[in-house]
Amino acid sequence: MYRKQVRRRRAVLALLIVGSFILLTATYGQGSNGVQRGVSTIFSPLQDVADRALKPARDLVNWFDETFDAKGENERLHDELQVARKQAVGAKTALAENAQLRKLVGLDKSGAIPSGYEPVTGRVIARSPTVWFADVTIDVGSGEGVEVDDPVVNGDGLVGKVAAVTGGSARVTLIADHSSAVSAKIVPSGTQGVMKPSVGDPEDLILDFLDSEKRVGKGQSVVTSGWRGEVVESDYPPNLPIGEVVEASLKQQEAQQQVHVRPYADLRDLDLVQILTGGSRG
Amino acid sequence: MILTPNILARLVAIVIAGVVLQLSFFSQVALFHVSPDVLPALVVVLGLLGGSLTGAVCGFWVGFLLDCLLIAPLGGASLVLLSAGYLAGAFRERFEIHSALVPPLLCMGLTLFAELGFGAVELMLGVDAPISGLVVRDMLLKSIFAFFAGWAIYAGVRRALRPALVEEPMARRGRRPTALGA
Repeated sequence: MYRKQVRRRRAVLALLIVGSFILLTATYGQGSNGVQRGVSTIFSPLQDVADRALKPARDLVNWFDETFDAKGENERLHDELQVARKQAVGAKTALAENAQLRKLVGLDKSGAIPSGYEPVTGRVIARSPTVWFADVTIDVGSGEGVEVDDPVVNGDGLVGKVAAVTGGSARVTLIADHSSAVSAKIVPSGTQGVMKPSVGDPEDLILDFLDSEKRVGKGQSVVTSGWRGEVVESDYPPNLPIGEVVEASLKQQEAQQQVHVRPYADLRDLDLVQILTGGSRG
Repeated sequence: MILTPNILARLVAIVIAGVVLQLSFFSQVALFHVSPDVLPALVVVLGLLGGSLTGAVCGFWVGFLLDCLLIAPLGGASLVLLSAGYLAGAFRERFEIHSALVPPLLCMGLTLFAELGFGAVELMLGVDAPISGLVVRDMLLKSIFAFFAGWAIYAGVRRALRPALVEEPMARRGRRPTALGA
């Protein structure tokens, strides 16, 4: 019984396969035949009704597909937006530079830059990759009159001094560099000291060797003292703003004769600086 | 499957509805730029529920109707779809379907087989134009669509053919007994 079933099944399968090949051979290359025309005639009204009835559903599904397409277009527009955003950032940077330059001009006009110095504006083009934030390279050099030991400021205050110079660039050692030492004074009290860095933290400078008899208060300003001796003199002109006292405990002042100062200039984010060339040296 | 005139009529209705739906709906929609092809999945489901003979015969007639309505050379689609239906039925006759994932997975696999078969028939008949690599993507996406369509088609066709299914548990068809045992 089972064998008979299997045989019948195989026979039907073979018949269908052979029938398919016969149909394929017979109808291949023909435009249409009578069977197809008859079937089309019978089914075309049904297809017509189905086509109309299913149109809303088709539209709905196609809407999803178009929505996916729109998503792709959205990504393309995002890319375009990114380009536009970069341009906008460029414009903002230009505005920020403008503000910095205005600050520098303000510094010139405020009288913070002592007479006899010729400020040369430069741009930071390289930074030290170490965590020490020790020095930066600027795009002006001896060609613009920059010399070694020229003080460097930005719109906020003292930055450092030129350590090396080439024709078109210069290396500036920041006041946060471990080799830096700036003679400074507290205003208005006039307490003198030496500004030294706290290595690794450009936000923290230490005003050392203070007179323990004189009290320094938090919030007081620190400027360069610009002392001048008979043989040597400070590299920095007097009264360049350096920073503000942020920590001045009595114990620290008495025991260590020092206070902590935060520099006005953001030493981690320098862009435009002024090199005070000339001056009274030499 | 117990074939009665009623069941035969239902099978004919399923085949016609499937082809008309394919031509009027699925062929005219696009998901990821690919139109789903539910006919191989339909034939696979018929093979799974009715056996290899039912699958092969239904596949042949689905293909025949399709070729007629598309005014294409007759026999090509029939050859491919009857093979898919037969293979699905043969699977059902040899293995038990223990997981609900089996029908959709078979739909997916045999749809890929059918799409390859359609491609083979086309190549056999001669393709003059260069073939784009996108046909591979098209075939794969159609197979994935068939996986999801397989769930619905299997559930719907099974419901339509329930009276003819010999292995359908009686408990599911029977009424829930009441407290009085009525």
